[in-house]
Amino acid sequence: MRVFFLALLMVSALAGQALAGLNVVATLPWVGSLAREIGKDKISVSILVKPSQDPHIVEAKPGMILAARKADLLMYNGLDLEIGYLPLIMESAKNPKILPGKPGNFDCSRFVKVLEKQTAVDRSMGDVHPLGNPHYHYSPSNILRVAEGMTAALSELDRADADFYRSNFQEFALKLKERQKEWHANQLQGKKFIAYHRLFEYLAFEFGFQITDYVEPKPGIPPSAGHIVTLMENIRRTKPDGLLTTEIYGMKESETLAAKTGIRVIVLPNDVGASGTTDWFDFMDKVLSSLK
Amino acid sequence: MRKKTAFFLFLFVFSFAVRSFGSDIDSRLTVLEETIKQQGKTIEEQQKVINGLKEELGPGKRDEAAKTGGKPQEEARPQEVTGFFGGSSMTNPNISLVLDTFYYSSNRKDAELVKSGIPGFTTVPPEQNNGFNLRAAELFLFSPVDPYFNLYSNLPVTEDGIELEEAYFVTTSLPEGLQVKGGKFKSNFSRLDAQHPHAWDFADIALPYRAFLGPEGLGGEKGVQVTYLPSLPVYTLLGAEALQGENDLLFGKDAQSGSHGFSFFIKSSFETTENSTFYFGPSVLFGKTRNTNILDGAEFSGKSALYGMEAVWKWKPSKQQGLILQSEYLSLTQNGNLTDAVTANVDSLKRRQDGFYAQGIYQLDRWRFGARYDMLELFADSFEQAGIQQNLGTKPWRVTGSVDYNPTEFSRIRFQYTRDRSARDDRANNEFFVQLIFGIGAHAAHAF
Repeated sequence: MRVFFLALLMVSALAGQALAGLNVVATLPWVGSLAREIGKDKISVSILVKPSQDPHIVEAKPGMILAARKADLLMYNGLDLEIGYLPLIMESAKNPKILPGKPGNFDCSRFVKVLEKQTAVDRSMGDVHPLGNPHYHYSPSNILRVAEGMTAALSELDRADADFYRSNFQEFALKLKERQKEWHANQLQGKKFIAYHRLFEYLAFEFGFQITDYVEPKPGIPPSAGHIVTLMENIRRTKPDGLLTTEIYGMKESETLAAKTGIRVIVLPNDVGASGTTDWFDFMDKVLSSLK
Repeated sequence: MRKKTAFFLFLFVFSFAVRSFGSDIDSRLTVLEETIKQQGKTIEEQQKVINGLKEELGPGKRDEAAKTGGKPQEEARPQEVTGFFGGSSMTNPNISLVLDTFYYSSNRKDAELVKSGIPGFTTVPPEQNNGFNLRAAELFLFSPVDPYFNLYSNLPVTEDGIELEEAYFVTTSLPEGLQVKGGKFKSNFSRLDAQHPHAWDFADIALPYRAFLGPEGLGGEKGVQVTYLPSLPVYTLLGAEALQGENDLLFGKDAQSGSHGFSFFIKSSFETTENSTFYFGPSVLFGKTRNTNILDGAEFSGKSALYGMEAVWKWKPSKQQGLILQSEYLSLTQNGNLTDAVTANVDSLKRRQDGFYAQGIYQLDRWRFGARYDMLELFADSFEQAGIQQNLGTKPWRVTGSVDYNPTEFSRIRFQYTRDRSARDDRANNEFFVQLIFGIGAHAAHAF
């Protein structure tokens, strides 16, 4: 018995040492991608949710709990997007370093100018996010602030490499400035789209277009046949510039609408890694080029 | 002895390394100071550049006509940290209510149903009656206590009143993968025990649970649980529990003064493909037993050990579809004396019986289709009264099919048909359920 426990301790000690630098666990792909921009080779990043998954509905798998167990720093989207699994992961991981209030707990949304903050909601209104729209990863200005917050968080846990993180952040900020010129060259101002889910509000706000209607009658509630009919009438009447959706859900309904009304379906990546994108810049490039 | 020597040798070498490093420390310090000053300047310059960039990039700076998606409602300063369970629950805990109600129809009359135990296992009948049933409106309250503990409680409100099914704390800040849970809680022995009835994949519990633990499984037990999650390459959770031992069928309140139920379990898991996960583990629940519901008119007193093995495979390629295959095997060893209630005659009772179930749930959009097969006395059917094996009749089995529709994650309508041959008589019990489950409020996430 004693030998068994000793062996176990040794293995766990070895496993803990195998990874160099800060062990960062990110819930969503874009969070992990951003952490990599700032931390580069000084951190190792594991991402819990795959880009093919709907981030609203994720099951807390044991593998995620194990990753959180080994984390020095947990980074998440916040605004209660991960409310269905993150509290369970945090509690089951038995890792006090990543609890709220500790330096190892990084809620990206703390650095975001939040849109659509709700004051009075209930579930008859669908899956509304009371703290505000959580899909701000489409917003370059917010991402810049999140990246700056990440730089501070990484520096606090790993003071020796603080300068490294800061210069990576500066590099990131300059790159962002360059890309912003290209992204804004698109002239999306004044365009009108409809969307499947309330995913693109930050994008619309930042690039000056309008989202006039939604395929989902209420957030998270798939459309009924009646709602589709009403939508078709609205589309024929108002002739929007396109229907925005993502690969992970809403494709079937969007294609039906396109076949019936001729509206152009624009499939945007839902997160970094979707549509073959490699990092957050690549992801935004894909988003903006799809909107052309 | 040898270990100690090695340790001192290590310390010796280490101290040397440190000492040689510390030579001409003064000159090094001066150099360091210089470097730090330099770096400070660079950082200041960088910050200026960054602030400039932020000004330029901020959406507020661009023309007002562009603002169509909404108004920014927060300033650029970092917002407050949200709590453990999101949002704010400083003055009120998270509250949820889950209503679990069903219509039940059987070809057997209620008078027959109340007498239908599983001969050789239990005299306790299932809980449902023909017609409308209300299992419970389960009231859940949970919240962090402080930075060190989370508190959970589950108060099922039934027509008989309010029960205290669970009320326990969980530590959050113990180091090195350790966690302690204490109070009254559902044991992590095997799989279905830890699940609340509203989270079961079928309207009723699997047959081996009903046979060995009763229609609700082990249920909430007072006690303490310690779990340890080592930092291994593979998820491996080790756990041990000391329980008061009040379950009527496996333990019995008066089996012994003091705590007399104990469990050990291991849960392990790994990814089988990119979209699928395997979860499995053995467990054991053992202790002293004294009860009157194994056989009619007799009190049993002795020792019991229930061994369990669980295995679950989940495949979830997309939001639209998924498959869960699940199976458990339970095996009971029981040794003791039976006292006849009328004659006070004492016989020995020696049991070794087992049971298993296998089930599959296929999800397609908002629909879920389920099938389950339960069976008792798979490999072991020894039931020796006074040293003589009793002939208990045909082996109990049951087969179930179900369809459920889930408008959202907060509501479920389930249709279930079960052909139950667990009574060991010549008539099947054909059961039909229409079950409705609704949840309101903030409910804690269910474990994998």
